[in-house]
Amino acid sequence: MSAPPAALQVPVPRRWTARDLWTTRVTTGVLLLAFAVFVLYPLLEIVARSFWKSGAFSWEHYVEFLQEPKLFQTVWNSLVVSSLSTVLTVVLAFGYAYVLTHTRLWGRSFLWLVGLLPLIAPSFVQALGLIFLFGRNGLVTRTLLGLDWNVYGPVGIVLGEVFYCFPHALLVLYTSLSAVDASLYEAAQSLGARGWRVFWWVTVPSVRYAVAAASFLVFNLVVTDFGTPVVVGGDYRVLATEIYTQVFGLQRFSMAAVVSVALLVPALASFGLDGYFRRKAAATLTGQSRPYAYSPRGWGRLAAGAFAWGWAGFVLLVYGTLAAASLVRVWGYDWTLTLAHYRFDAVGVREVLLRGLQLSGLAALCGALLSVVVAYVVHRLRPWGARLLYALAVLPAAVPGTVVGLGYLFAFNKPPLVLVGTAGIIVLSYVFRFVTLGTLAASAALQQVDRSVEEAAQSLGASAVRTFVQVVFPLLRVAFFSSAVYIFVRSMVTLSAVIFLIAPGLELPATAVLTLTTDGKLSGAAALSTLLVAVIGLVVAAARVVLRVPVVFR
Amino acid sequence: MDAELVLDGLTKRFGPVAAVDGVSLEVAPGEFVCVLGPSGCGKTTLLRLIAGFEAPTAGAIYYRGAPVHHLPPQERNFGIVFQSYALFPHMTVWDNVAFGLRVRRLPAVTVRARVAEMLALVGLEHAARLYPSQLSGGMQQRVALARALAVQPRVLLLDEPLSALDAKIRVRLRAEIRRIQRELGVTVLYVTHDQEEALSIADRLVVMWQGRVQQVGPPLEVYTRPATPFVADFVGTTNLLRAEVGEDGGVRWGDVLLEVASPLLPAGPVLLAVRPERLRLVDGVAASQRNCVAGVVEAWTFFGPYVRLHVSANGELLAVDVPQEVLADAGLQRHAPVTVHVPPEAVLVFPGRP
Repeated sequence: MSAPPAALQVPVPRRWTARDLWTTRVTTGVLLLAFAVFVLYPLLEIVARSFWKSGAFSWEHYVEFLQEPKLFQTVWNSLVVSSLSTVLTVVLAFGYAYVLTHTRLWGRSFLWLVGLLPLIAPSFVQALGLIFLFGRNGLVTRTLLGLDWNVYGPVGIVLGEVFYCFPHALLVLYTSLSAVDASLYEAAQSLGARGWRVFWWVTVPSVRYAVAAASFLVFNLVVTDFGTPVVVGGDYRVLATEIYTQVFGLQRFSMAAVVSVALLVPALASFGLDGYFRRKAAATLTGQSRPYAYSPRGWGRLAAGAFAWGWAGFVLLVYGTLAAASLVRVWGYDWTLTLAHYRFDAVGVREVLLRGLQLSGLAALCGALLSVVVAYVVHRLRPWGARLLYALAVLPAAVPGTVVGLGYLFAFNKPPLVLVGTAGIIVLSYVFRFVTLGTLAASAALQQVDRSVEEAAQSLGASAVRTFVQVVFPLLRVAFFSSAVYIFVRSMVTLSAVIFLIAPGLELPATAVLTLTTDGKLSGAAALSTLLVAVIGLVVAAARVVLRVPVVFR
Repeated sequence: MDAELVLDGLTKRFGPVAAVDGVSLEVAPGEFVCVLGPSGCGKTTLLRLIAGFEAPTAGAIYYRGAPVHHLPPQERNFGIVFQSYALFPHMTVWDNVAFGLRVRRLPAVTVRARVAEMLALVGLEHAARLYPSQLSGGMQQRVALARALAVQPRVLLLDEPLSALDAKIRVRLRAEIRRIQRELGVTVLYVTHDQEEALSIADRLVVMWQGRVQQVGPPLEVYTRPATPFVADFVGTTNLLRAEVGEDGGVRWGDVLLEVASPLLPAGPVLLAVRPERLRLVDGVAASQRNCVAGVVEAWTFFGPYVRLHVSANGELLAVDVPQEVLADAGLQRHAPVTVHVPPEAVLVFPGRP
């Protein structure tokens, strides 16, 4: 044999060329640094601030927080409205999803679209709609019933949150309910079970993890939501808005940090539990299932129809009211039709909308690209630090927007990185807040790609970079575009983080709506909201038609 | 002649499991070697080690005397064809074949000429502008072959390239692969679980089982002189019979004393291997002759040119292949008594029992 003996071992075998390993390490390093700076550093700044008093470590801010009844009350308030909204949302969404998956009710695809409608609206839009219906000058409360009661306060928050969270819960529950195999029902029925018994013995056990996941998801969304309580909360103070009040109302930055930490606890816990139950639910899904659907008769048919169409009607009523309110002179008093509210004299709406589109569009492209790169590095190149990178990419979804905003305000208002007041920081906050879903979508898509396709490229001599650019990226095109659409929509509607970051001349559509609302120009706010929802709806529809991209949400 | 590719004690462990366990092999230039084994025997892992997608736990790989097992796949220049074709779905056939050439930054003229040459070689000139999804499975695999060969690889590795195809296309394409291999003189390592495919295509067979090489040799040798009972059973069909060698050296299969063509054997348990086509049916009157055993036809399987009888004899079920007309002529029925003759030279003896 011409070969040297086996004892002459050559250096460690490797799967990539030296250049590939080098580019991988540099890329991973840059990504880790970016996530550390724009995800971890702001959070650490908040925690540090909450423990910092005149140059030393101190519990004093926390003691103050606990001793101030009004402040501590916000914790209780947050938990109350979050729990109530969670129960209501999950019950309603379960019923809706059940009707959509298990019956052959007429108009199901229309009901499905209406159910998902709130996804493309900022959370405060439903709150605004509720104000026009049930507020001080509400159509129902004052004009029709002449009541003194109005919706401001906990009732308004809960109602608004139910609207806002409904589609999120619906997506989770619909997926799970449509995966219950028809053979289970047929087996139960052939064994003599019927009606409620089948429901309790087959349906409920099959979807229990999904119900748990949906509950924690909704709890997380509500406890972190800023838009609804700020518009319809009145004097009822919750954690998410309290951070804002402490900063802009009272200039108590350290107390804002303490409130942020108090908000982080339930937010992180519910996010973690959501993920836990989601994995459990995914594990119970079998590869293929035949959906089960029947045509209910008699009272059942009436109840299912009344419920589903009732809810859809209510959703349409709220949005319709908003659109109507933007078109009449003075809501509740002067019903003459007018386009005056669409003039937006004060806010320079064209620039604001254009700026929103530009910044969200930029964030969408950067965020989607970042997602795909992170997924490729984590799942295929698997360098040292890949798990940490993945954890950092998933973390942002758990952090409340107001906390992110406050953290950015703390971290990037001083050297070495002075970014507050620039458009750049707004884009960065979008990218790093919404990168999670993109990364999850790209990872899922990557698992579907046959590994031997990449191996073929490798054995033909392609480097890691070339394999990514010419082979992997084209195969992840759909995931890239759907992530981009998602990040775009979320960036357009988010209010909580950017409210801390906008500067004069940098107003965004969502913050402009809030300004109009707090100035009492509700009709103007309605007009701008209607415009915003219409623009987002157009972009999503265009993405579906032009790119043929399914739009995914969580 | 110097070996082109040498595997020396190649081992790959996944945790406690050795998927490839001390495999040594020498492949001559231009040789067509088939690695044959049941699924899970480690043959695909062996191929992935050679291609560079897995790092060996121990052992070495040499190409023309130089170690290559430390090199990443990009630097080995071994072509590979996968069972799943692994074509780039977003590129045309032409771009797929040109991929490796472009990676090597060859001038456009060279790329064009080479792609045209490769497409002509696999007979797909007309499909250059199509996408893989517009082609049949057989055509896709030919594109994969052209893509791998375009860069003039040192060795061509094929991982069950025909398993996903229909039987007829499989036979046609394997002849084509063999023709192209002869035309280009490329060294080929071909992994398959299909013994008929392996026997018909290879210069040399490597039979693997449980991560180890069981036998290496030309197809005819492996078929007629299997080295182990596993090889005898896996390659072709074999009757494996438990027998005993007595102190006198006589081979005793149950009550029957068999004459075998093997040299003198030590006393103890043995396994006898006899191919079904070597067994003969003889007239009942000859039943008292040597090496004859009486039995009863339990069932038969029709294979076209021949029929496989399942004869219960001496407490075991023997497979006996007879020409199809014998069945018709003899008018055999189920439970018909027959006499089976075991030619001494047809019996292989393996000492001990697995």
